[in-house]
Amino acid sequence: MTESRQHQVELANMAGIIERLAGELALGEEPARFIAALEGLPEDEVEDEDEAPRDE
Amino acid sequence: MNEESLAGLAAGIRARRISPVEAVERCLARIRKWDSRLHAFIRLDEEGALEAARSLEADAAAGRWRGPLHGVPLGFKDLCHLHGLPTSCGTRMPEYFVGAGECSAARRLLDAGAISLGKLNMTELAMGAYGDNAHHGDVDNPWLAGHAAGGSSSGSAAGVAAGFFAGAVGSDTGGSIRLPAGCCGVVGIKPTYGRVSRAGAMVLSWSMDHLGPLAWTARDAALMLKVMAGRDPADATASRRAVPDYAGGLEGGISGVRIGLPENYFFEGVDEEIAVGVRQAARQLEGLGARVSEIRLPDPRDMTDVAMLITRAEASTIHARVFRERPQDLQPVARARLQVGFGISAYDYLQALRLRAKLTRAFVREVFAEVDVLLTPVIPESPPALAALKTATVDEFNARAGRFSRLTRPFNGSGLPAISVPCGFTAAGLPLGFQAVGRPFDEALLLRLGHTYQEAAGWHRRRPSLD
Repeated sequence: MTESRQHQVELANMAGIIERLAGELALGEEPARFIAALEGLPEDEVEDEDEAPRDE
Repeated sequence: MNEESLAGLAAGIRARRISPVEAVERCLARIRKWDSRLHAFIRLDEEGALEAARSLEADAAAGRWRGPLHGVPLGFKDLCHLHGLPTSCGTRMPEYFVGAGECSAARRLLDAGAISLGKLNMTELAMGAYGDNAHHGDVDNPWLAGHAAGGSSSGSAAGVAAGFFAGAVGSDTGGSIRLPAGCCGVVGIKPTYGRVSRAGAMVLSWSMDHLGPLAWTARDAALMLKVMAGRDPADATASRRAVPDYAGGLEGGISGVRIGLPENYFFEGVDEEIAVGVRQAARQLEGLGARVSEIRLPDPRDMTDVAMLITRAEASTIHARVFRERPQDLQPVARARLQVGFGISAYDYLQALRLRAKLTRAFVREVFAEVDVLLTPVIPESPPALAALKTATVDEFNARAGRFSRLTRPFNGSGLPAISVPCGFTAAGLPLGFQAVGRPFDEALLLRLGHTYQEAAGWHRRRPSLD
């Protein structure tokens, strides 16, 4: 497999993973909540994923 | 405690049994004898180290102690910017990285009395799991010649194992502290994301990079981490949390600590010798009072994939200039990795960042409701022969490196603290190690667990012969 073909395969795989996982994201999800998860913000300050509207 | 450990050496200097100059000269003698084989250094700073040692010796004579590491020789991965020495980041360009300020973590260690012996070898741009480097020489495994030392903080781990310095600073974006620590039989801890400032260190991926110590024992790592950690105005991601006295808490034991052995992912496809070694360590920990049980984890493959995507995108963004202007100066493996990152869409990158937050929250909530610590292997296979790596194509090499870091990368994604602790040897004489993973900012428990295990198991009393 040529180098560029291999890269295309890798990119397609990564895009497929995002496509599979991102449908579960709540609208309120944003990158900064990663820090909140580590710093231990109380659960009631974190949106309930089961009830939150979905992105798509 | 003997003077081969960082803690023992610091105590020996404080008790005036050994002087800073003697400590540096001992290290230099070993480096001169064996670094032509190991290639742990990119730039050895003999003059600077001896000058600093003489100054510290004068201070000690006058009763002026600079800090807990007074006179202790250390090494710094060559992506830590320090004034007066170039920072190649493992590339062929001596001054690839010119930071506006010094590496905060390294500077804190020096301000605490440590002595810099110089800058350490690493995989080019910190992109790689094996410690090979065509520009500065492949770092050799101190325990078995011709085998990988692990990467990317290869010189840091090999140098600690060889007794070239008492401790070293490494960085970890997908396992680059824990993998070489596992390969070289030393302790390495990747702290929680934000525990140690990243200011003044080359960025590979600002979302995934962590700095941390490598040392001979958990006690040594605890002493270093205490100095390195803490808030830093130069790094907005550095946590403002207070830093515990890690070394002061080491003797508390692990009675009642709940240890989880993963049922899924972490033991799948792992060399039998490694899996047996980690399970044996779990039994020893149980004998020391821990409660060991099996646990099913949220699928770590999702976080591994998400972390890889984020790392690729950020690495290509940061290192675009060298890729575009001097691609011939990069090794083909590094070029190939960067190439992929340029093709990642903004949509995929941003979704990955959102997924990271969600996956981390779920993992912390589900796993640490049941256990206090996860125990896993660090590496899935023994350190490979360097010659075997050379026969692979670029794609084969990168795929193999990806598999080699698959047990460590999930915790760069989640930002959780993870320590690599030696737990024996393979039949061939290469080190075995376990990875212990804890709650956010619970480095103290990981260090205590590592210390308790080391004191009971005693593997750290062996040193590689190097001959």
